Amino acid sequence: MRFKVSLLQKTRQTFQAVQRLQSTATTAAQQYTWADPARRHYKFWNRETDVTGQYSYLIGISPESLQREARIVALGSDEADEALHQGPLPLGASLLGVGTTVEELQQNVDKTSPNVLFVSPNCPHAATVLPQVLQAFPSIEWVHCRSAGIDFIESEELVQLYTHRLQSPKPLQITNAKGQFSSSLAEYALMACAYFAKNLPLLLQKQQERSWHKYNVEELRHKTMGIVGYGDIGRAVAKLATVYGMRVIALRRHPFLSRDDPYCNVVYGRDQESLHQLMRESDYIVCSAPSTVETRGMVSAEAFQHMKPNAVFINLGRGPVIDETALQNALREGKLKGAALDVFVEEPLSTDSPWWDTPHVLISPHNMDQTATFMHEATEFFLRENLPRFLCGEDLLNPVDPVLGY
Amino acid sequence: MSKTKVDHNLFWNREISSKLAYDANAPIVKEAKIISLSDVNDPSNRPLNNPADGLPQGSRLLAVGGSIEEFDIEMLKREGANTIFVSHPLAREPLDRLLQEIPSIEWIHSRSAGMDFVASPTLASFQGKVTNAKGLYSSTLAEYTIMACSYFAKDLPRLLKNKGAKNWEKYNVLELRGSTLGTVGYGDIGRAVARLAVAYGMKVLALRRRPVPDDLCSVVYGNDKESLSRLFAECDYILCAAPLTAETKGMIGKEQFDVAKSGAVFINVGRGPIVDEDALIEALKDGRLKGAGLDVFATEPLSKSSPLWELDNVLLSPHNMDQTATFTYESTSFFVEENLPRFVRDLPLLNPVDVSAGY
Repeated sequence: MRFKVSLLQKTRQTFQAVQRLQSTATTAAQQYTWADPARRHYKFWNRETDVTGQYSYLIGISPESLQREARIVALGSDEADEALHQGPLPLGASLLGVGTTVEELQQNVDKTSPNVLFVSPNCPHAATVLPQVLQAFPSIEWVHCRSAGIDFIESEELVQLYTHRLQSPKPLQITNAKGQFSSSLAEYALMACAYFAKNLPLLLQKQQERSWHKYNVEELRHKTMGIVGYGDIGRAVAKLATVYGMRVIALRRHPFLSRDDPYCNVVYGRDQESLHQLMRESDYIVCSAPSTVETRGMVSAEAFQHMKPNAVFINLGRGPVIDETALQNALREGKLKGAALDVFVEEPLSTDSPWWDTPHVLISPHNMDQTATFMHEATEFFLRENLPRFLCGEDLLNPVDPVLGY
Repeated sequence: MSKTKVDHNLFWNREISSKLAYDANAPIVKEAKIISLSDVNDPSNRPLNNPADGLPQGSRLLAVGGSIEEFDIEMLKREGANTIFVSHPLAREPLDRLLQEIPSIEWIHSRSAGMDFVASPTLASFQGKVTNAKGLYSSTLAEYTIMACSYFAKDLPRLLKNKGAKNWEKYNVLELRGSTLGTVGYGDIGRAVARLAVAYGMKVLALRRRPVPDDLCSVVYGNDKESLSRLFAECDYILCAAPLTAETKGMIGKEQFDVAKSGAVFINVGRGPIVDEDALIEALKDGRLKGAGLDVFATEPLSKSSPLWELDNVLLSPHNMDQTATFTYESTSFFVEENLPRFVRDLPLLNPVDVSAGY
């Protein structure tokens, strides 16, 4: 008898605990809906400020919170996905199969229909394979991309599939790893600014010559930084720039979303004139925009012409957003102080790429966010945050819109 | 440990402190009769030596010169010179002579933050007020410090080598976020660096003579050998931002490098003689230190034969990482606009220096 009572008490306690947790979760979910652009930014996760694992914990203590199963297939894999392959996965989730083509998946995946697709950026020809997989397995309702950029899976077919599914009772949700890499890239951006402010190219040259040559350095303090594309990365850069005492101006599609942002002084919209104004005012320009139909070639030769004569241009978004030839010419002609580029139209750069010989440019092989654990952490984010949310029937974080491209 | 007699509320920081915050209505009670021990050709001294709008009320420039021969000591004694502005690099001897010959001197102001260039027994026993340019260079040096940390975290030496070799080699980088920065000496420079480091998500440990807790630091160590070794053992980046005094000379050497954490980076923006330079070179060569960012050296200019020039893992700058186009000019302006008006009104002077401690 006593045993039964204590068991009942335990269940009631757990139930109440779950109720409390669920109630905070559901009120939060009710307030913010996907479609409202003003609310969209609450769905975005940032590694520095947000806490993970609330739902992971919830499932652990009360399996009643599970609303559905997650039957996962993975497209592409590498050692960073170990946590996914070896588990343990949250209760209710299972990995059905891994592959790089539709055929491989169809072979490995048994009759149970998958509903979740996890895409790794190392999957070859992902843009072609992804729509094929979605068509072969129409039961898939959620695609999670391990990287932040989704340009590698973008295609006409995907857009069509996505738009078509919007009408259906089970729309397709796509999420990514936004906020995962922002702080490393912000560190790189400020380093690149300081690299030119303290004239490291001159310093290193003099060091080679064993020449003690005192010269004036510049401060970042009170200079203006212009950020093209003010998403999570842009914001992380702005946050650091503000601490340095820089003035920050930002450019984004929805300026009103940053109206009360403490890290930027002015926010412009995405018209040509605004971009030119930003180029005119900035001593340091950081381009952190994704590569979409709208942004490709956005920082054009004309935009570069509006730069200050000793401006520094940094690109850590995507190569195709800028006109590379125009920037190369500007650098050769000394039209700006220098550039730092982590991304290129062609990656890897071939040995005969003109970039290697272009003067005044700091070149890095798209690795300035590549810490030893960054991709592992991105997989962890899927396993500990979005997957438990999916299992509990909660809103997923980091939604992307393939029509917009980010 | 000598007891500091300075009031820390009087420390002025270029970024944070208000300008011209003295009570301008307070009556002028005495005249400032100034000797400018400076380079007459240096335009940075113009706010004092050749001001466009004259000096503040109650201040009079008696003489300008770089060596003792250029001064008429009898005239200065007659006039009752009471203030010396010192910025000449070779000022130690002339300053000593002026102090010995002119008893009416009551205030010495240094255009630089470092006092080691004029340190002497005569100065150490000076009974009047001494002030300096503390807080004027801190934010620029803080910018350099964080850049030096990032330079090694993102492995810039490798990056630059790869560009020369046209080699697209993706390698892992380190984040500053989550790493630990230790600062030896937690004055205005140390604090400016800590402010930035905390914004980057670094943990900050400080070592200072008065281990007063600070909101930016996780731990503040006192100035003993054991604490210094602990700092080297616990930190990924170690900054030396201490002044050169009898206590700090040769403070950092083999003993500390032996216990340095694996991958440690050493940055020096204080003074060269605080570090045993030979021990530093050894530690850089055998990998006890991953790298070093050095702006100051035991002898400056650094001799061409020093091994530091050719080490791949050294970022070497010619004591210019605070040398903005305007910094010395701003420092002279600080003397003219902030401390002179305070002196003539007998208000507390900013940036007091404890000559017995040497900083």
